Amino acid sequence: MTPDFLNTIEVILNGLMAGVMYSLVALGFVLIFKASGIFNYAQGVMALFAALTLVGFQTGQIPFAHLVNEIFGTQIHHWGPGMNNLLAILLTILVMIVFAWLVEKLVLQHIVNQEPIILFMATIGLAFFMEGIGDLMWGADLKTLDVGIPSGGSFWWEDVTRTWVSEGHEYYGMYIDLLDVWAAGIAVLLVTVLTLFSQYTKTGRALRAVADDHQAALTVGISLRSIWVIVWSIAGIVALVAGIMWGSKSGVQFSLSLIALKALPVLILGGFTSIPGAIIGGLIIGVGEKLFEFWIGPLVGGATENWFAYVLALFFLMFRPQGLFGERIIERV
Amino acid sequence: MQDTVKEDDILLEVRNISLSFGGVRALENISFDIRKGEVRAIIGPNGAGKSSMLNVINGFYHPQEGEIWFDGKRRHHMKPHQVAKLGIARTFQNIALFKGMSTLDNLMTGRYIKMRANLFSQMVWVGPAQREEVEHRQRVEEIIDFLKIQSIRKTPVGKLPYGMQKRVELGRALAAESKLLLLDEPMAGMNLEEKEDMCRFVLDVNEQFGTTIALIEHDMGVVMDISNRVVVLDYGKKLADGSPDEVRNNEKVIDAYLGVSHD
Repeated sequence: MTPDFLNTIEVILNGLMAGVMYSLVALGFVLIFKASGIFNYAQGVMALFAALTLVGFQTGQIPFAHLVNEIFGTQIHHWGPGMNNLLAILLTILVMIVFAWLVEKLVLQHIVNQEPIILFMATIGLAFFMEGIGDLMWGADLKTLDVGIPSGGSFWWEDVTRTWVSEGHEYYGMYIDLLDVWAAGIAVLLVTVLTLFSQYTKTGRALRAVADDHQAALTVGISLRSIWVIVWSIAGIVALVAGIMWGSKSGVQFSLSLIALKALPVLILGGFTSIPGAIIGGLIIGVGEKLFEFWIGPLVGGATENWFAYVLALFFLMFRPQGLFGERIIERV
Repeated sequence: MQDTVKEDDILLEVRNISLSFGGVRALENISFDIRKGEVRAIIGPNGAGKSSMLNVINGFYHPQEGEIWFDGKRRHHMKPHQVAKLGIARTFQNIALFKGMSTLDNLMTGRYIKMRANLFSQMVWVGPAQREEVEHRQRVEEIIDFLKIQSIRKTPVGKLPYGMQKRVELGRALAAESKLLLLDEPMAGMNLEEKEDMCRFVLDVNEQFGTTIALIEHDMGVVMDISNRVVVLDYGKKLADGSPDEVRNNEKVIDAYLGVSHD
């Protein structure tokens, strides 16, 4: 194989890995959209908030320390050496569940049955609120997140691929980040567990039932409110996983909330109502933007990754607005 | 229909129900009862308030006035999912199935209130949750046999023809093993053969499982043959209440259905 061909494979592989990350964020959107018809703008901020909370627990930060210091003139910041990863993750999951419950209690419950645009606006408000509360609780500084996932290039893969090149060429092997491989593995596991849960358990069926028909779900005894708490909790956990992956990769910073924007083209491609769509949409965007950068990038001065996904989404909107896997939108006259 | 219905054995009673939407009076001072084990029909021309009545019993609408008594107890303001837990299942006039799910899953979802496993044991899956799943699956298969829908067990119900969807919806309501089954125009839009099948199922459910059934129908003919007692509504008011024969010969009912010139 020629080095050019191998390079292309490397680009595709890295694209797939990046795509998995996009899929993770998009998955959170789809879950909530299917169950309640709400486009949750706060999904990205939820990932940020989860990552901030996780780091806070890990390092033993005291929440609201700055606020307390400001008011009482104290000098507190840490309560101890922190805790181990597993405990911190479990506690963060607990926080996300409490958060889901609060969102239902304080926001959704009061605006249920409103126009979708009103629900959407509410989630924008929620996004701002969470960003603020995250800042207030844990501080706005850039934090490093390390939960023990290996990172850096895989030497083994480099060695293996080095031998693939045909004779007479110089090739140094493919680079693949271990963190990306782990992220992909965890994402696959997460989706598998979610799928099994929704297929073979009572609550999973109830989730699908609510996604299908609210009225019918009520008549078989399903309480919409408790289902919404469960859905937002799952979305919170998905956000935590996304937050861990992105946070381990590029640090926990407030720009993390902007990854939500990258999920938009993924959703337009995959369809807002399809979980497989979110995954495949993410992969297409990931591979597409890396390949485009690799092939076309040099011709137009690079930095195409910033806009490629949105342009692709625009084309999709023109020809297939429901996405690849979304339900066909048919308005009866 | 069962011949052994006891007169004083009342399952559900509505007393002086009035319901209005803004200025529109949908129901005015309606009272009637449903006895344990009977097939009770609610009939009336279009816009008579039949579906509103069902929605009141089911908890979708909350009447401004009146009382609902179920199983000897007065029922207070309740949401539909709480009513379901009380033991009232229903079907809809325009079919409200979980269209993306298979027949089997629709029926399993119908057993939601019967299943007890908590969220945690469901996540663990092996153990109590799995045992429960198997147990309920068995009941669902029995219902599938009863309704003769074995061949469409795994088909997503959105793909089924109309008559079959109606049957699956009945199956989902049956799966709850409720005390009272509300059927909103179970024969609407069906051809003669499908209607006969549905009549047979309704009677079988009533006789074999002893389920009390309240059904709404637009078409008087079908109802008269399968129900113990009939209540007739028109423009939100009760016109008549009694055995099919009594109702058939009631002057007011004939007027409402055939129309008379008031001169």
